[in-house]
Amino acid sequence: MRIWIEFAKQQPLRYLSHLDLMRLWQRAIRRAGLPVVYSLGFNPHPKMSFASALPVGVISDAEYLDIQFAKDISEQDLITLQNVLPIGLLISGWRIVPESVPALMALVRAVTWVMPLDEPIVTVQATIEQLLATTELLVERKGKKGIKTVNIRPFIYKLQVEEETARLLMLLASGGEGGTKPRELLELLQVHPDSNLRRTETLLEVNAVLQSPMAVLLKEKEVSINAKENHYQL
Amino acid sequence: MKNYQQHFWEDILPRVQKATRYLGNELNAVAKDHTRATMKVALAFPDLYEIGMSHLGLKILYHMINENQQWLAERVFMPGDDLEEILLEEAFPLCSLETVTPLASFDVVGFTLQYELSYATIVHMLTLAGIPINVAKRGETDPLIAGGGPGAFNPEPLVDFFDFFLIGDAEEALPEALMLLEQNADLPRVQKLTLLANVDGVYVPSLYKEKMGDNNEYLGLVPITADVPPTVKRAVVTNLDQAYYPTEFVVPYGGIVHDRLVLELFRGCTRGCRFCQAGIIYRPLRERKLSTLTELARKMVRATGYEEMALSSLSTGDYSDIEQLVRELGTDLAEEGVSLSLPSLRLDSFSSGLAEQVQRVRKSGLTFAPEAGTQRLRDVINKNITEEDLLHAVRDAFAAGWTSVKLYFMLGLPTETDEDILGIASLARKVVSAYKQAGGRGKPRITASASVFVPKAHTPFQWVGQISEEEIVRRQSLLRQAFRNSGVQFQWHGAQTSLLEAAIARGGRELAPVIVRAAELGCKLDGWDEYFSYSLWQQAFDEHGLDIETCAQRQYDEEEFLPWDHLDAGVSKRYLLREYKCALRGDVTEDCRDSCLGCGMALLLKDEAQKGVCTSADMD
Repeated sequence: MRIWIEFAKQQPLRYLSHLDLMRLWQRAIRRAGLPVVYSLGFNPHPKMSFASALPVGVISDAEYLDIQFAKDISEQDLITLQNVLPIGLLISGWRIVPESVPALMALVRAVTWVMPLDEPIVTVQATIEQLLATTELLVERKGKKGIKTVNIRPFIYKLQVEEETARLLMLLASGGEGGTKPRELLELLQVHPDSNLRRTETLLEVNAVLQSPMAVLLKEKEVSINAKENHYQL
Repeated sequence: MKNYQQHFWEDILPRVQKATRYLGNELNAVAKDHTRATMKVALAFPDLYEIGMSHLGLKILYHMINENQQWLAERVFMPGDDLEEILLEEAFPLCSLETVTPLASFDVVGFTLQYELSYATIVHMLTLAGIPINVAKRGETDPLIAGGGPGAFNPEPLVDFFDFFLIGDAEEALPEALMLLEQNADLPRVQKLTLLANVDGVYVPSLYKEKMGDNNEYLGLVPITADVPPTVKRAVVTNLDQAYYPTEFVVPYGGIVHDRLVLELFRGCTRGCRFCQAGIIYRPLRERKLSTLTELARKMVRATGYEEMALSSLSTGDYSDIEQLVRELGTDLAEEGVSLSLPSLRLDSFSSGLAEQVQRVRKSGLTFAPEAGTQRLRDVINKNITEEDLLHAVRDAFAAGWTSVKLYFMLGLPTETDEDILGIASLARKVVSAYKQAGGRGKPRITASASVFVPKAHTPFQWVGQISEEEIVRRQSLLRQAFRNSGVQFQWHGAQTSLLEAAIARGGRELAPVIVRAAELGCKLDGWDEYFSYSLWQQAFDEHGLDIETCAQRQYDEEEFLPWDHLDAGVSKRYLLREYKCALRGDVTEDCRDSCLGCGMALLLKDEAQKGVCTSADMD
């Protein structure tokens, strides 16, 4: 049975890398005694993947695991699994997923981030206005083939300061079709990254509408928006 | 004001790389309330987390001490450069991982002594912890600094900075020592140490002094008071099957060197290889029962979720019921997606049946250790395997689908000639040919690795000096040439690290200030190429009127007192000498499982029922 699990990665585990987190889940699932489907081949590995990689040092309310079990999974199995997870990993939801739906990783289009600001709100707001007024925001990225210049303006869907709480809210493109990470943007904003930077939502896209993996409708291969649940128009 | 914990977690950790090393909250880690503990032990491993966490002994002691409700044990490793810099800059003391408690607040700080190249790191860690390095400078409130592991079998180069050593198996002796300290917590330091010195396996170096003869020759170490024993008997766990073994291993977040479960099948080895210190200091042979092992294995997987389990021992294939064990474990573990590995399989105990069981989940490379290139030299070191054993084993492995084999050899063994060295290359070439004969497709991955022989205390070769640096380099280059166009990947190790190891391995008390000086000059983590500095070590030796190469090459006379003569490992000096003479004649000694050779072990075992294969007292 294939399922998606929604979970939070909290402070005590913020330093875990993508690989560390994958290893931790694999071992937790074995402790819970839940049989995962293994790939065939010389070095079999469990069929499980994350929706998107979370940078080291960052916490999140909205991480997702796409995983194939060799048996039917019940609510009780998820409770067993939660009980063997370390403090700092909290399962907040799960759903059964048809086998033919594409991998979760391939469906992710955007991520929302929230970060408390140390800098004066007015200054940050002014910088945001300047940035959003342009059509081109060039940043340099170091890749395997050297330094590449990328325009990240199209990847910023929403960027604003929430005045009451003095927090920066970001809705940024992410996934295979391009995107940007908070660190890149914070540099342009000249804002110091705070240890409470938090991913709050991971979103899939259907016809320019964004919605959480837990909310979208799934039918055979089709992913569609559930109009009754929270969604964003792009 | 923030306490140590808050400051470390909130202000220091965000500034270091690889923070997962220092979190201390891994699965199965134990954090207790210090105010309620009656015995607080910091277990220190003088290397980075990734190395220290791969070590079985530390895990056994950690969980064993924590089993006691009133006691606590926490871990500490050498910090990486970035953290060390912050600690020095902020004058923040080195702390344990679990509760971020300064080492100076523990009752005992115990260091694992695995290899000589870690000794300068010990001094570094004490300095970072703000604990006086020299035993004489420590006060009543300072922790007792203890050492254990193979290095404790020649602890003399460390005596200036250790209050006591535990020699031998710790499962029974350590709780006994800790209980004694707990009960006598109010006694002055020197009285506590005198009590400890009477526990079997405990050596308190400050209670022994060097005895010198009329011509200023060394006549061994003697007690300074009448209330400590003249020789220290090694601690031996006689019933390993009943001995403590952890199942709830701490599971690290990041990849460590050996990131897997370890199941220790037995302790000791009956083969009698003459270069091997472990083969002597872990005698006698003690096995765990098959039912105990399968039960432990099941619990270990459930408690950790690990994907791999290594069956570990000095020579795993020698376990009496190995086929049955591997069959049962293989079946159980394969169901859970856990693979088995047998890291130390002897050539003559390898079989394709075993191989197939081991490869059920994942197939890793195979490693064999012929050690020497010719039968003559293998006879000298008593490595009782033949060329045919090797070729038979690799043919079986190739036929079963393996394509990768690693071969371990040593250079510079006593009596070695150029013919023996060239024999290494020709043996490895035959392994390549065996691949084709076994019908293997493509090219096999054959690796041959040659380390430099380091003579060790408590072995038949303890009297022998190491070969010179010049000679090491010549022999390595000869072997490199012999491997040209062989299809074998040849790996060798730097000569200088082996020289330093040899200099310390058989050294005496004169080396303790040298090690302190080396640490002051900046030597640390010497097992890592990027840190090792031979010239700094040379400077430290030189300032004390010593020379690394001279120490390494030192040849001891048969009648001479050795720096470790006051430590009774169980095997008599007479037996070691007999073996040394057999070696020089090229005579082999049989496996002592078949008939007791009277090495002296039987005298150390108090309980008749536990003597096992050790039936006769010293035969000379």
